[in-house]
Amino acid sequence: MVWRIVAGMKRRLGLVCAPMLMASACRNMPGPFAPPVQRQQLEDFRPYRMSAIIDMADEDAKTHFVQDLTSNATATWRWTGQRPTLRVRMRSAENLRYTIDFVVAGAMLAKTGPLTVSFLLNDQVLDRVRYDHDGVQHFEKAVPAGWVTVGEDVTVGASVDKPWIPPEGGPQLGIILLRIGLTQ
Amino acid sequence: MRQAAAALFGAGFTVAACYAAGSLLIDQLRATLRQDERIPLAFVLGAACLHLAIFAILGLHIAYWPVLAAVLALTIIAAIVTGAWRGAHTASGKPVAPLSRNLRMVFGWCAGIFAVVYLVNAWAPEVSPDGASYHLGLVARALRVHGSEPLTNDMYAMLSQGVEMLFVPAFAIGRHSAAALVHFAFSVALALAMLAYGRRIGKPWAGAAGALLTFASPVVGADASAAYVDVATAAIVFGVFYWTEVWDDSEQRRLSLLIPVGLLAGYAYAAKYTAFPIAIYALGFVAWRCRRLRPITRSLRPVLLVAGCALIMAGPWIARNWIWYQNPVAPFANSIFRNPYIHVMFERDYSESLRNYGMPSLWPLALEATIRGAYIQGIIGPAFLLLPVALAALRFRAGRRLLLVGALMVSTYFANIGARFLIPSLPFFSLAIGLAFGEAATLLAALMLIHAAASWPPVLNRYVNPNCWRLVRFPYQAALRLTPPDDFLRKNSQGYAAAQMIDAKVSGDEPVFSMDGIPDSYTRHQILLYYESASNETLADTINMGWNPAAQPILSRVFSFPERKARRMRVVQTAQGFYPHQWNVYELRFFYRGTELARKLDWRLQAWPNPWEVQLAFDNSLATRWRSGETAAPGMYLDVDFGREEPVDEVRLVVSGDSELTRLQLESASFTETWEKIADNPTVIPHDVPPGIRRMATYELHARGIHYLMVGDKSNGSDDFAEDPEAWGLKLIGHTAGERLYQTIW
Repeated sequence: MVWRIVAGMKRRLGLVCAPMLMASACRNMPGPFAPPVQRQQLEDFRPYRMSAIIDMADEDAKTHFVQDLTSNATATWRWTGQRPTLRVRMRSAENLRYTIDFVVAGAMLAKTGPLTVSFLLNDQVLDRVRYDHDGVQHFEKAVPAGWVTVGEDVTVGASVDKPWIPPEGGPQLGIILLRIGLTQ
Repeated sequence: MRQAAAALFGAGFTVAACYAAGSLLIDQLRATLRQDERIPLAFVLGAACLHLAIFAILGLHIAYWPVLAAVLALTIIAAIVTGAWRGAHTASGKPVAPLSRNLRMVFGWCAGIFAVVYLVNAWAPEVSPDGASYHLGLVARALRVHGSEPLTNDMYAMLSQGVEMLFVPAFAIGRHSAAALVHFAFSVALALAMLAYGRRIGKPWAGAAGALLTFASPVVGADASAAYVDVATAAIVFGVFYWTEVWDDSEQRRLSLLIPVGLLAGYAYAAKYTAFPIAIYALGFVAWRCRRLRPITRSLRPVLLVAGCALIMAGPWIARNWIWYQNPVAPFANSIFRNPYIHVMFERDYSESLRNYGMPSLWPLALEATIRGAYIQGIIGPAFLLLPVALAALRFRAGRRLLLVGALMVSTYFANIGARFLIPSLPFFSLAIGLAFGEAATLLAALMLIHAAASWPPVLNRYVNPNCWRLVRFPYQAALRLTPPDDFLRKNSQGYAAAQMIDAKVSGDEPVFSMDGIPDSYTRHQILLYYESASNETLADTINMGWNPAAQPILSRVFSFPERKARRMRVVQTAQGFYPHQWNVYELRFFYRGTELARKLDWRLQAWPNPWEVQLAFDNSLATRWRSGETAAPGMYLDVDFGREEPVDEVRLVVSGDSELTRLQLESASFTETWEKIADNPTVIPHDVPPGIRRMATYELHARGIHYLMVGDKSNGSDDFAEDPEAWGLKLIGHTAGERLYQTIW
C-alpha cells in the first residue's frame, strides 16, 4: 500500500516521503481490551438544589455587600447596621427559600428590649419576627413566585427595628450576621 | 536577604559553570576568538554541554543538590586550572577597532538601564504564568523525585526542556528567582554576542543598534526577566549563526569549528521545537560552502559532522519522547505517532488557538505585534515597523545571511503567533535593520534612543493595550526580599494563593484535578490540569457532563433486526463530520429478546480511532464516554468480539444530542471474519439525563484515585459546583479569591 503511493510519485519526492509514510502507516494499535469493572447505579445521590448563601467566612463575601455591614467582624461573623443588604444572583427562580443565620446579642437586648427583625428580599418584606432572647437564630421561608428574576441581581437583607449604639460608641449595630442567602 | 543571596548565588554558579564548560570546549577546539565574543559564545556553548550533563543526572535519578553542585564546581575548577576560563589559548581572534566613545555611551547607558530593570524583575519572586507553572513546575517536580520520569498526563512535560535543564541546579540552590536569573543571563549573552558580531563584520554601530533593538524589545524584557526559554533559545540560535560565521572566516574552514555549530543547532531544538529551522540553516550553509570540495566525501564530511553533533544534543529528547510517549515529537504530530496520551483533536484545537490567539483577523498582526499587544501577549516594539527597511541590508553579504536566517526562524511563527515566538528571529532582523543604515552613527544612535524610550515601561503603558504582557514594576524590595516573598506573590501571582491553599488543605502527596491553571511550582502536589493530556481531557469531559447539557447523554440510537447469532459485532460510523464534531458513545449495549447481554470478561473490545479509551463505552456509566478524539470520519468503529456466537436482535448506543451529524451502520462477523452489514439508520429515542449525573461524574474522579478538585470562579460551570457541592459528591474545603477547592465525599 505504502509502496504503491510512493511509486506514483516522482522518485526524489518519493524518497523524501517514504519514511514519513512508513512511520504514519505503523498504526500504534493496542491489543483488544476486556470490559472494565462495571459501575453500579448510584443510590445515595440527591437532586441538585441551587444555593446562593453568603457565609461571612467566605473570602469573597465582601463582593456581595450592598450596605450596612460594618467592619466589626471576625473570620466567621460580622456586625451589621440597621438594614444589612447583600446581593446574589440566581440561575433559577423555582422553589427558592430565603435563609439566614444570625446572632442576637445579649448586651443589645438588655438595652433595647425585644427586637423585631424584618426579612427582606428585593426590599420587600418577606416576614417579621420578634426576638426576646439572645443567641444564634435561624430563619427560613419560601420565596413567593415572581419575587426573583432569573439572571438578575437579587438583594437579600434584614431590617432591625431598634438599632443599638454600644457604650464605647461607634456606628449603630443591628445583628451579628453569620450567613444569608437563597436556597432551593 | 538570605533567599535573595541564594537566588543570586544559584544563578551565578550555574552561569559560571556554563561559561566554564563552554570555555573548556573552545579551548579543546583551539577556536581563536576575541575576548568580547568568546565570553557570550562560551556561555551559550557551555549551556548546551551542561544541559546534557544534567539530563544524564536526572536520567540516573541522582539529582540531589550536592551532586548538582559538584558537577558545577568541578566544571568551573577544570576551566580555571586549565586556563580555559580566561581564554589563555584561544582569546586571540582577529583584531578589530575599539568601540567609539559615542557608541559606548549610547549603547552602554541604554542597555545598562534596561539590564538593571530586567535583573531586578528576574531576581524578584517568580510571577510569570508559564514560568511559575510548567517551566519551573517540572523542575521542582524533578528535584522532588531526584530525577526525570514519564509524566503522561502533562503535555508540557513532553516538550524538550533544554533550557529547563539549566534551571535545575539553579533552582536547587536558589529556587525560582535563580532560574529566572539564568534566563536573564542568556539575554545579556545574546546582546553581547550581537554587539561582537557587529564588530566582527566591521559594522560596530549596526551591531550595537541591532543588539539594543533586541535587548530593549518589550517582549524580550518581559521574557528575559522570567523563567521562560524564548530569549535563551534566541541566544542559542544566534550562537549557531555566529559559529557558522566563525567557521566560514577561519583558515581553510577548520572542520573542528563545526562542532559548536552542530551542538548548538541540536541544542536549539532541545530548547524549543520551533527553533529547528536553525539546524536546517546550519546544514544548508555548510553544504553550500563545501559543495565544490572533491572527492564528494570531503564535502559530505562537514555536513555529517554538524548533523552528528546536532543529534548528540537533540537525540536524547527525541529518544526520550519515543520511549516514554510513543511519539518522538510529542506532544505534536499525534495523528502520525498515535499514542494514548494526547488526543488528535486536542492537538488540532490547541494549534487552532495558537494560530490566532482569538484575533478576529490576522491583517492587523503587524500592528498587534509592534504597538498593541492586546491578543498575542506582548509586543516587539514600534521600531520593528522599520522591518521593510532591513531589505536595504541585502546589499551586504552579512545582511543577506541575516535576513535569510531571520526568514527561516520566522517561518514557524504562524504556527504560534504569540509575540514571544518572534524572539528567536529578532536578533537577525534587528541586525539587518542596523545594517540597512550602514554605519550612519547619528541615525543609528537616534534609532537606539527612540527604541529605548518607546520600550521604557512607563512610556509603554501609554500606548499598548492594557492586556499586553510587559514589565510593569521595578520590584527592588521584593528582589532583596525586604518585602516578604509570600506577600509579593499573593499580590502579584495569579493562582499563588490557590497553590498555597492546596498545600495547606490537601494531605500527603495526593494529586489535585484542576479546571483552572495553577502555578505548579508553588505546590508540592501534582496538578492535573484539565486539558494537559488525553486522560485529563477525558476526566474534564466527564465532570463537564454534570452541568453542560451539550455533553450529556440524552439520546439512544437503536438498531433492531431479526434475531441472529454473531461472534463479533461492530458499529461503523459512515458520515464525514466537520471540525470540531467528534463521534461519541456513552454506552454500547447488546440485547436479545429485551434482555441485555451481560458483559463478560472474555469479550474483546476495540475501537478506531482512539482505541485506548474504548472501555469507556462499556463501563455501565453514563458519565463517561468514548470519543473518537478527532473529527468524525467514515470508517471509525467500535468492535466487540464476544468470544463465542451470541444471539442478538437489538443494539443500543447512548449518545449526546449532537449525534445527528453521524451516520451509523451495524455489522457482524462470524468465524470467517467477513463483515456483513446488518442494519443502518438506527431509531433515535430521546431520554432524560440521569438524575445523579453530577455525582456519577465525581465518582469517576474518585475511582481514579483523585480526591480533590479545584474549580476557578470563572471556569465554565463553576456556579454549578458552588451552588450545591453536595449534589456533586463534593465538599468545599477551601476558597481563595478566584479558586474553590473541593474534596470528594465517598
